[in-house]
Order: sequence, then C-alpha cells, then structure tokens
Amino acid sequence: MKVTLTRYGGLAGGISWPARSVKSDALPGPAAAELEHLVAAIRSEAPLEAKREDRARDSMGYTVTIEEDGGRTTVVKRSDATMSQKFASLIQWLDGASKGSP
Amino acid sequence: MCHARCGLNCIVPPHLLRKLLESRERDVRESAMNTLLATTQLRGERFVRSFAGFLATPASGRRTMHDCQHSTYLPFAVVARTEDGAESDDHAVNRAFDGLGHTRRFYQEVLNRNSIDGRGMRLDAYVHYGVRFTNAFWNGEEMIFGDGDDIIFTDFTKSLDVIAHELAHGVTQHTANLEYHNQPGALNESISDVFGSLVKQWMLEQTVEEADWLIGSDIFTPGIEADAIRSLKAPGKAYDNEMFGRDPQPDHMSRYVVLPDTDEGDHGGVHINSGIPNRAFYLFAAAMGGCAWEAPGRIWYNALLASNPSTQFQEFADTTHMLAGQMYSAEEQQAVAEAWREVGITVSGIAAVSRRVAMGKGRMAAASRVAEIARNGGNVSVLSKQYDALAARVRALESGLTPVKQKV
Repeated sequence: MKVTLTRYGGLAGGISWPARSVKSDALPGPAAAELEHLVAAIRSEAPLEAKREDRARDSMGYTVTIEEDGGRTTVVKRSDATMSQKFASLIQWLDGASKGSP
Repeated sequence: MCHARCGLNCIVPPHLLRKLLESRERDVRESAMNTLLATTQLRGERFVRSFAGFLATPASGRRTMHDCQHSTYLPFAVVARTEDGAESDDHAVNRAFDGLGHTRRFYQEVLNRNSIDGRGMRLDAYVHYGVRFTNAFWNGEEMIFGDGDDIIFTDFTKSLDVIAHELAHGVTQHTANLEYHNQPGALNESISDVFGSLVKQWMLEQTVEEADWLIGSDIFTPGIEADAIRSLKAPGKAYDNEMFGRDPQPDHMSRYVVLPDTDEGDHGGVHINSGIPNRAFYLFAAAMGGCAWEAPGRIWYNALLASNPSTQFQEFADTTHMLAGQMYSAEEQQAVAEAWREVGITVSGIAAVSRRVAMGKGRMAAASRVAEIARNGGNVSVLSKQYDALAARVRALESGLTPVKQKV
C-alpha cells in the first residue's frame, strides 16, 4: 500500500507544498500495522458532505490518496474546517513518517 | 513616527456640513453624514466614538483565548485567558490576546467599528491547534492558530498582521461577505492583507515609507529564504527558494492567474490574484504618503461596506474612486484612479458606479445604512435624531465647544 498526502491552500495559499508518500512495505512491521490501522479508521468515517464549510477562510485542504497493491485507489479529502480526529491523526503520522519519526 | 500628511488637508468646513445636513434632499443629507463621520474621525474627535459606544453592546469584543493542547477538536480546548483574567504563562496565548486587542482597538478608533460584526462580537481564538500545524484560519466564528512545524513555519501568533488578517475575514463576512472564489475571493483575501498590514502599521506608528508592507514576515523559521508569504508593495517577490518555488502573485491584470475554482486551485487563485488589488492599495497609499490607515484605509473600508458578495475588481476600483471623491478631494480621487490604472484597471467613473447603485448591484456605505432602515420599515425617527445629534455636534465644533452629553 502506498499512502500519499498532498496539502494546498491555507493562509499561505500561494505556496506549493511537496507531496508526502509512504509505502507500507518499506516500513518496519509495527509502523506498517499502525499505518494500516490509521487508514482503516478514516475509511470507516462517514463520507463528508459535498458542500465545504462555506464561511471558513484560509483553511488548508488535504488529500490522502491510498493505492492498494491490487490496484484499487481511494481518495479522501478534508480541510481544516472539516477535519476529523481520525484524519488529523493520519496526517500527523504521515508528517512524522516523512521525517523518519512516525 | 507617523507624520507628514496625517493632518487635516481635506475637511469640509463645519458650517457647510451643517447646511448639507439640513438639506431637503435625502441624498445630500446622507452624503453629508458620511462625510461628517469620515472627517470627524480624521479630526480625532472623541464624540463619534462615544456615539458608537452608546449604541454598542456591553460585550464590545471581549476576548477569550483557548488552548487546544494540540487537539484539532475545538470542544476539547481549555480556556487559557479571558478579557479580565490574569496574563498567561503561555506566550502564544498572550500574543494572540494582545494581537486581537490591538486589532479590536484599530477598528474602533480608526474605523469606528465595534469588533468583527460592528456590534461588539466576542473574539474567540484557539492556539496550539493540532500537532505541528502549519496554518492559521478563520472558521466562520473563531480564529485558530497553529504552532508551525519548526521546519518552514514557526508559531503563527508571532505575527500581528496574520492575526489582523484572520480577524479581517470576520469583518468581511459580516459586511460585503465576498464570495470565496475568483475575483470576489481575491478581493476578500486582499481586504484581509490590507487591514492586516494597516493594523501593524498603526500599532508601530509607521508611515507608508517606513512600513514593510509584508504579510507573515515573522512566521517563517530562520532557515527559510523568504521575506514573508506576501508583499503588498511587491507582489510576486515575497519569496523565491528551492523548497516552495517563487511567489506566484501577479501585480498587474495582464498577469492575472486563471486557476480552477477548486480547493486545489485555491478557489480560482484567491491567495494569488489578491496581489493585484494589494498592489493598487499600496500605490494609492504611497501616492498619498503619511499614514496609510487614514484616507486610503478609510476609503477601502467604506468600499468594503459598499460591496456585495459578487463584487469584481472593476466594481471595487470604481467604488474606491467614487468614495475618494465623496470623502476627500479630487487629489485623492486622481491618486486612486492612477493606482488602479497602474495595475491594469481603468476606473469607470462616478456615472458608472451610480448606475450600478441604481440597479441595485452596489451598496454605498452611508446610503445603505439609511436605505436599510427605510427598507425594513425601521425607526426613521431614530435616524432623524442621529442627524440632529450630529448637527448639534457640528455646531459645537464651529463654536469650539463640545457638548458634555448628547442624548440620541
């Protein structure tokens, strides 16, 4: 499984943030299992209503793309204004993983 | 220190205002009232503030700071400082508290506006949001600040112009409510940048020449090669580095960036094309000299009040041009036209604006207040009393006396 996080917008909306990708088969066993758990958690969340929080300004957007080994791809989007605890946990983990300390 | 053109170079004599306030023509009376409000602010007279205070709710923008303790779930946050509470041991809490206080005072003292909604709305802010959170935003009700990742960004409460930028989104929401996409969205962002910068300039008592005209100059970590996230003076030149490229803001309509109206497209480039009106404001302020929060800030603020959710750059430019003539003089009006011309927008002139107003597409600041009362079948006698009170104040100004108390 490959999980990629892209972020965009926010107060510094003009800045292009580099995407962050993590492959589960490149992780140690416990870390891979934790990633699987976090991904399963956001998959279990109810789909977000299509309408974005209209009044939020400068909120950052996040797209998590999950590519399964079998070819199935899932895309989950959130923003600061529509963030869930589970989604925040996954972002935090991915940010840490990209620095080598998930 | 701020000096130069901070003086009273464009005030209609009180005797003339008095006559205009007594005119039989409603439009003339409204225009006089608008001018009176603006010029009285220029004079630094205290009575308008008292007048506003009389109408304000007791809340008057009371501040409450919350500590998210690194959660993203706001109900988990704990109260960290209140308006009357003791100073916190947490610097981020105190910086946000002070920043909101400075911004609240700017709106009250410079623009005669009581907090975000003009009615003393509470100011609630959240700090330490999330973990290594690299953003600050307005969620429609509150301001939220991250600690930064300490790689690119540091604590967002360190920048007064960022705090004022977020609060300005609240002001826009409660006034023109500019839609957050394409040109209205870029205007929305520009308004936040303009007033974010003006609050900082006002606090530091900086002239146009002394100000840095930067947004977020304090939030990059020392290792990042960037002046700020945006520059009103030089859009497109705030940063240029390997990590996140070059500042994409245009400074002219010929370089307007067409992007999709999606999250990924920054809703049509609202943080990008804001460079154009940002630059226009800077050019106008630079042409005027002195303190940018005076004539330039007041004209832009009144143009915001006169705007609507779908206002485009052209309409906003026309409105600032018209207001410059109404509130100040031909000199200011000419400078506004020149500033917009330099960014590729030719003002359409008063006739065009008046036509739009007549068609219901615009809302002029003072006129709209009067019209709203009339539309709502409101209490016209209240308005009449306000006129009477203001007329009395003008008479007092003429004679050099300010009434101790005035019932409205």
